[in-house]
Amino acid sequence: MTSLVQAIIDGLMVGGVYAVISIGLTLVFGVLGIVNFAQAEFLMLGMYIAYFAWAALGLDPLAGAFLAFGIVFALGYGLQRTIIQRVLKAPAVSQVFLTVGLLIVMENGALLAFGSQIRSVTTAYQTKSLQIGPFFVSLPYLAAFLMSIASGVSLWWVLNRSWLGMAIRATAIDPMAGRLIGINIDRVMAIAFGLGVGLTAFGGAVVLPYLSVFPTAGSQFVVLMFTVAVLGGLGSVAGAVVGGLAVGVITSVSALMFPIQLQNLVLFLVFIAILALRPDGLMGRA
Amino acid sequence: MDIFVNRRRVLGMGGAALATALMPRLAKAQQGQDINVGVVLPLSGPSAQFGINSKNGLELAVEELNAAGGIKALGGAQIRLIVADSTSAPTAAATAAQRLIAQNEVVAVIGAYVSSLTLAVSEVMERRGIPLLTISYADQLTERGFKTVFRLNPKASTLGQAQVTGSIEIAAASGAKLERAAILYEDTAYGTSQSAGLRKASQAAGLSLVMDEAYPQGITDVTPLINKLRASEAQVVFAVSYLNDTLQIVRTMRQQKVLLPVVGGAGGFILPEFASALGELSEGVLSVNSSNYDLDEAHAKRYRDRFNYPMVHDAIEHAALIEVLGQSLETAAATTSEALRGAVAAKRFEGGWLDGMPGGAADFDDTGHNVLAEPIMIQWRSGEMATVWPTERQKMKPVWVS
Repeated sequence: MTSLVQAIIDGLMVGGVYAVISIGLTLVFGVLGIVNFAQAEFLMLGMYIAYFAWAALGLDPLAGAFLAFGIVFALGYGLQRTIIQRVLKAPAVSQVFLTVGLLIVMENGALLAFGSQIRSVTTAYQTKSLQIGPFFVSLPYLAAFLMSIASGVSLWWVLNRSWLGMAIRATAIDPMAGRLIGINIDRVMAIAFGLGVGLTAFGGAVVLPYLSVFPTAGSQFVVLMFTVAVLGGLGSVAGAVVGGLAVGVITSVSALMFPIQLQNLVLFLVFIAILALRPDGLMGRA
Repeated sequence: MDIFVNRRRVLGMGGAALATALMPRLAKAQQGQDINVGVVLPLSGPSAQFGINSKNGLELAVEELNAAGGIKALGGAQIRLIVADSTSAPTAAATAAQRLIAQNEVVAVIGAYVSSLTLAVSEVMERRGIPLLTISYADQLTERGFKTVFRLNPKASTLGQAQVTGSIEIAAASGAKLERAAILYEDTAYGTSQSAGLRKASQAAGLSLVMDEAYPQGITDVTPLINKLRASEAQVVFAVSYLNDTLQIVRTMRQQKVLLPVVGGAGGFILPEFASALGELSEGVLSVNSSNYDLDEAHAKRYRDRFNYPMVHDAIEHAALIEVLGQSLETAAATTSEALRGAVAAKRFEGGWLDGMPGGAADFDDTGHNVLAEPIMIQWRSGEMATVWPTERQKMKPVWVS
């Protein structure tokens, strides 16, 4: 029983992070209607920004996360205006090639710019945990979880309570109608793309205290990210949160009963079962 | 999946072209023809650090050999390394080897560090009858009846046994008796065959294995493993892991207050990044190893001066492979693969860069296994690795931190 509760705690912690990195993916799909295969590379970029902010400025990765968000938001905004926008009305194949191409460019660009070595930060809380009775809550996990939840709540607030959020939602529902009522659709889409990749980069920075960064670090998360987004319902922000927490808990609890190598097997069995019953995902828009 | 392979291959080709273009032209007159030697190493992806260390070791040894007059039996022929990136995918490694053979007329190939990659490369080499010199640990490399594979290092299972035996002896010397151990290993060829050695030696030593678990190499959350470890009541953990997973394991254990000694199985435990990332947590950590820089300080210093990085085991052993290759070419006095293979198989090698190997020499049996290879154990002391076991190779007395 103790180990089950412990597994659920751990699962929720990592699940929170899975949620925030997947929100970006789902937001981009929801608003722009394209599946960004390069999404995980922005996570890698966020990790690098946080790493260099730590190495050069002594900034803790949790603070560096805001820097990562800012820089990657600007980059995403620019990318959307210059290249993504051009394929929005193109066939799906072109969109896939563009984002896969972006993935290749970013991964190899990182290899050229930063070299292939594995880099890792050292922080004081990295090897600490809170002990509550028989349970352990890892501090770097808790920090990553809280930061993720805070960013998720902020995004929810922006989407539901601000003019910008309304514009984003309107664009997601019907771009044409949005344009008719005076929304600058192109700008809103660029902002949505920037927010999407920025949040993923933010997620990358907050996991840096317990993981390491290298040019292919993003690829460790690609499958996870898509699983979370599809499980929750691609395009639904709330779905990404539910999906992220579910994936975290499923993988963590499955490790109690099965060897950790079967973690993904268990995850995908559950994944297939859920999609069979709810093809649009847990919170999918019907 | 194809697209990934191609992308990395293209990158590898670019890297190889760049590396050849940047190779220093030596002032020495080139009397003989250049001898092309293929190199397949992971230069991108999660194992790239090992590939780079290996490549540096090769380059330094080749530069020195060429500067000293090249292969004298072949009129001073110079060795030319043709480097290709294997990435982390076995198919890409095999393709890289194939390309080196087809396009560069290589007499031998050196690589590919990661056992699962070397296994793929060895299939290609065996078909073409061209010698493959390697430092990879996985047992099956020399257990498939191949005639062209030569492995300088001990087998993974031998390293696994040394990991257990060394730990028991070091613990016993400070009055601790080990009874219960846990094994954690990454699930590719290297981890799997080394864990077999761990299991065998534990059984022989009467050490009960209270946990024995493999995990995938790209793991991003090791907490489930550490939770199990805590419940297992092990007294020592034997971990066979690369760098990324090693850091996660050591940090998470500390977080969860599972304060057992971790004895590493080479891989990520014997990189300078291990100590720089973990700081004081690295102090006193033991790991099995196949060579160490304190065994041959003269060569190691030349490397450190040149690359501003310690001469880690991958660099030492790859430099030693160049020693083997150079001496074989002198004996063979020919550049055919068959003559070279014969020389590598027949000769006993010693001296030069081989001084850095614990046995100080190499002699390959019919399977290509170096019968003079010996495992050692190192301990992290103030940010440097000291050879502490076995006693006859010891440079510093080990401390058992429990």
